[in-house]
Amino acid sequence: MELVVRLAGAAGQGVQTLGEILARTCFRSGLFVHGELSYHSRIRGGENAFTLRISDRPVFATRHRADLLVVLTEEMGRAYREKLRDGAWVVAEAGLGMAGPRVLSLPALRLAREKLKLPIAMGVILLGAAAKLLGLPEEKVAQAVKEVFGEKAEPNLQALALGYEHGTPPVWELPGPQFGPGERMLLTGGQAVGAGAIAAGCKFLAAYPMTPGTPVMEFLAQRSERFGIVVEQAEDEIAAINMALGAAFGGARAMVTTSGGGFALMVEGLSLAGMIETPVVIHVGQRPGPATGLPTRTSQENLLFALYAGHGEFPRFLCAPRDQESAFYATIRAFELAEAYQVPSILLTDQFLVDSYAVVPALDPRRVPVRPHTLSAEELAGLSSYRRFALTQSGVSPRALPGLSPHLVLVDSDEHDEFGRITEDLGIRKAMVEKRLRKGEALEGEVEGPAVEPEGETRGKTVVLGWGSTYGALREAVEELNARGGDFVLIHFQDLWPQRWKALGDLLRPARRLITVENNAWGQLGKLIAQETGLIPHRHIARYDGRPFAPEDLVEALAHEA
Amino acid sequence: MRPEEYLADVEIHWCPGCGNFQIREALVRALAALDLPPHRVVLVTGIGQAAKIVHYLRVNGFDGLHGRTIAAAAGLKMARPDLEVIAESGDGDLYGEGGNHLLHNIRRNLDITVIVHDNRVYGLTKGQASPTAPAGYITRAQPFGVLSRPLNPLALALALGAGFVAQAFSGEVERTAQILAAAIRYRGFALVNVLHPCPSWNRVQTFAWYKERIRDIGEGHDPTDLSEAMRLALSDSENLPVGILYEREGPTWEERHPVVRRGPPALQPLPTYEDLLPLLQEFS
Repeated sequence: MELVVRLAGAAGQGVQTLGEILARTCFRSGLFVHGELSYHSRIRGGENAFTLRISDRPVFATRHRADLLVVLTEEMGRAYREKLRDGAWVVAEAGLGMAGPRVLSLPALRLAREKLKLPIAMGVILLGAAAKLLGLPEEKVAQAVKEVFGEKAEPNLQALALGYEHGTPPVWELPGPQFGPGERMLLTGGQAVGAGAIAAGCKFLAAYPMTPGTPVMEFLAQRSERFGIVVEQAEDEIAAINMALGAAFGGARAMVTTSGGGFALMVEGLSLAGMIETPVVIHVGQRPGPATGLPTRTSQENLLFALYAGHGEFPRFLCAPRDQESAFYATIRAFELAEAYQVPSILLTDQFLVDSYAVVPALDPRRVPVRPHTLSAEELAGLSSYRRFALTQSGVSPRALPGLSPHLVLVDSDEHDEFGRITEDLGIRKAMVEKRLRKGEALEGEVEGPAVEPEGETRGKTVVLGWGSTYGALREAVEELNARGGDFVLIHFQDLWPQRWKALGDLLRPARRLITVENNAWGQLGKLIAQETGLIPHRHIARYDGRPFAPEDLVEALAHEA
Repeated sequence: MRPEEYLADVEIHWCPGCGNFQIREALVRALAALDLPPHRVVLVTGIGQAAKIVHYLRVNGFDGLHGRTIAAAAGLKMARPDLEVIAESGDGDLYGEGGNHLLHNIRRNLDITVIVHDNRVYGLTKGQASPTAPAGYITRAQPFGVLSRPLNPLALALALGAGFVAQAFSGEVERTAQILAAAIRYRGFALVNVLHPCPSWNRVQTFAWYKERIRDIGEGHDPTDLSEAMRLALSDSENLPVGILYEREGPTWEERHPVVRRGPPALQPLPTYEDLLPLLQEFS
C-alpha cells in the first residue's frame, strides 16, 4: 500500500511545516513515511514542494507522481497538475480557479482572512481538507499541529478545523498501525547527523552557513546548552576548519558542516588535520556544482573531490550514509574513527538526505560504542617523557591534551619529528610518511564493505552499483525488477574509503554487467572502482538535474537489462 | 619561573641580528613575570620566520597554517578557556593571508593575545612586501614599488573596538616584555604589533631607522582615552608610537557564552545513554 501526497506552494507559505505536520500525523498513526522537500533558492515565491510517501513498509525514496496534490499557488498548479497518478485528487485554493472531477476547490485564503485574520493559515486549512480526504482523524492532525507550532498552535488548530469543516468525506482508507509507540522514529537526515554528533560527544562545531550543510549547525546550536556544545558561526569556511582543529587540539570532539564550495575552502585545513594527526569530522552536504551551482538541489558530485581533496598524502575516513538511520550511526562512527586513528573523517550526504524525513527503527546510540581516545591525566602522570608523534607499529601515537600534565604537546604543519618539532631530516620525513600511512592500513580493518542484495555471488548477474542516498530508490527498483524475474544484484556503498578493493574486485569480476547509478554525470564511483580494481563499469545511469532518483526512474532505466 | 626555563634547547634558524631573537627574549621575560607554568600556555603560530618561535620555546605549541593562526587560537580558546592562548606570527600571516580572522576575532573578544612580528616584509619567501610595507617600497616582486597603502593595524584594531591595542619595538626588550605581560594579563583580545627590523631583506627600515622614529607614549598617556589612542595610531610614518595605546576591559566571549562559562567544553565527559534519552525522545 502506498499513497503519495504532494503539498506545493511558494516559499514563505509554510509548505515544509505543512509537510512536517502531515508526516508526523502519519508517523503517530503507525505508518511509514518519506517526506522529500524540493525548493528554489529564494525566500519568497518560486517552488516549494513537499512530497510525502505514506506506506505500510519502510520507504527511503521519493516519487514523481502523486495521488493527492495540495496546491497553494497557480504556478504550482501548472507545475504539478500533470504529475498525478490515475484517480488522483487535487485540493486547491479556490482563488486559483482549478476545477474538474476530483478537484476540491476551497476558499481557504478567504476563510483564513475573514475567520482567523491570518492569511498564512490558508495552508493549514487546505491541509485539513487533505487530511480529511486521507481519512486521518482530526485530533491526530491537531496533535501534530500542536507539536510543530508550539505556542502558535491556537489559530492553526482553528484553521485545521475549518479545513475539516469545508472538506469532503474520505476517499482513502489508510492501513492500521504498522508499528507501536517507541519502536520507530521520524527524522531528517540533517537531524540524524546532528543527533549522531551529539551522541558521539561532539563539543565543538564551527561553520559558515551554506545549504545544505546548515541544518546540522542549527540542530546543534539549538541543543548547545543542553549538551555543552560550542557552536560558532565562523567568518568563513577556512576559519571554521582551523577553529575546529584548534578545538580538537584542546581535546574537543570537533566538526564542521558545509557543502562543496565551503569544503573547497577547507581543503588546506583538511591537509593540516592529516599532518598534525588531529581528529575532525567534516560534514559535506552535496549540491550540484560547479561553483554555486544549484544551491537547494541534490547531487553526488563530490565523491572524488572528497576522496582526493588535500595536498600531500594522508589517510582519511570517507563515508556516505544511505538513509536517515545510517546517517545517525555513520556520524558516530565518523567521530570514533577520527578519534581512534587521529585522522579527518568526511561524511558525505546531500540535499536529498539532509532535508528528507523518514521513519527509521528506534535509534540506539549504544550500537556504536563511544570511548575516550586521549591519554588521561593519570596515564600522563605515569610517563617520564612524551612524544606527540611517537613512531608506533600501528602508526597511531598516544594523544595527550595540552595543560593536563607538565608534558608539553606540540603539533606542526611542517614535517616534524616525534616531539612535533620542525625538521628537514629526510630520514625522519620518510618515517613520518610511513607512520601516517600505516594508520590508513589499520583503518581499512574498520570499514564495512558494501551491502550486497540479494546476498551471494554475482556470477552471470547484472550488478547495479551505487552509494549514499540513492539506496532507497535503488533497493526498491531492484526488488521490483527481480520480482518480475530480473536477475539484478544491488551493491551499495556507505563506507567509501578506505575500502577492501581486492575483495571487492573478486566479488565484481564474475558479474555479467556492471552498472553505476549516481547523481552525477561522470559516474564517480565507477571511476573509483575502475581505478582500484581494473573493472570498468559497462554503463552509467546518470542524473544531474538536481533532483533525486525515484524508484520508477530506475525501473525504467534498468528494465531492458534483465 | 625564570625566563630561561621557557627556552627550548634547539638550534635556531633565524638570521643573525633578526629582531625575532629580541621578541623571543621579551616573551619569555613576560611569561616569567606572570609565572605561567609552561604546560598551561599554548603558543599558536602560523608559517613564516616569526612563526618558528613556537619551536624555540618550551611551552605547548600549535604550528598551523599560514594565515590561520588566529582562527586556530580562537577555536582552542573556545574549547579550552582554561589555557593561556597566545597567537603569534608575522605581519604577512596575520594581516595578509589571515586578515579576515583578525577582523572577526577582534569582534569576538576572546581572551587571547595576538603578537605580530611586523618587519614589513616576507622573510621566509625572501623579501616580498608585506601588508605593512610603505607605498613605493621596491622588491623583486614589486619592481614598481608597492602601489597599495600600508595597513595600519593599530587604527584598524581600535576602529573595530579592540580592548587592548599596543605597539612595541624589538630593540627595547624590557619595554616589549612589559607590554607583552600586560597584553597576556589583559582579559580579552589583545593586539601587540611589534616593530622589528629584518636585516636580511629590509634595507630601508633598519634598526637605526626605527630607533630614530620610535616615540614611547610613556606614563602620561591615558590608555582608556580612545580618541587619543586613535590619534597616536594615526601618527605619520616618522613617528612610531610605542606603548599601550588603549586598554579597556569588557565582557569576553567566554564570559558571555552560557556553555563555556560552565567550564572547558573540551574537558566535559562523553554523554551517557541516559544523557541522550531526551534527544532521542524528540524523534519518537
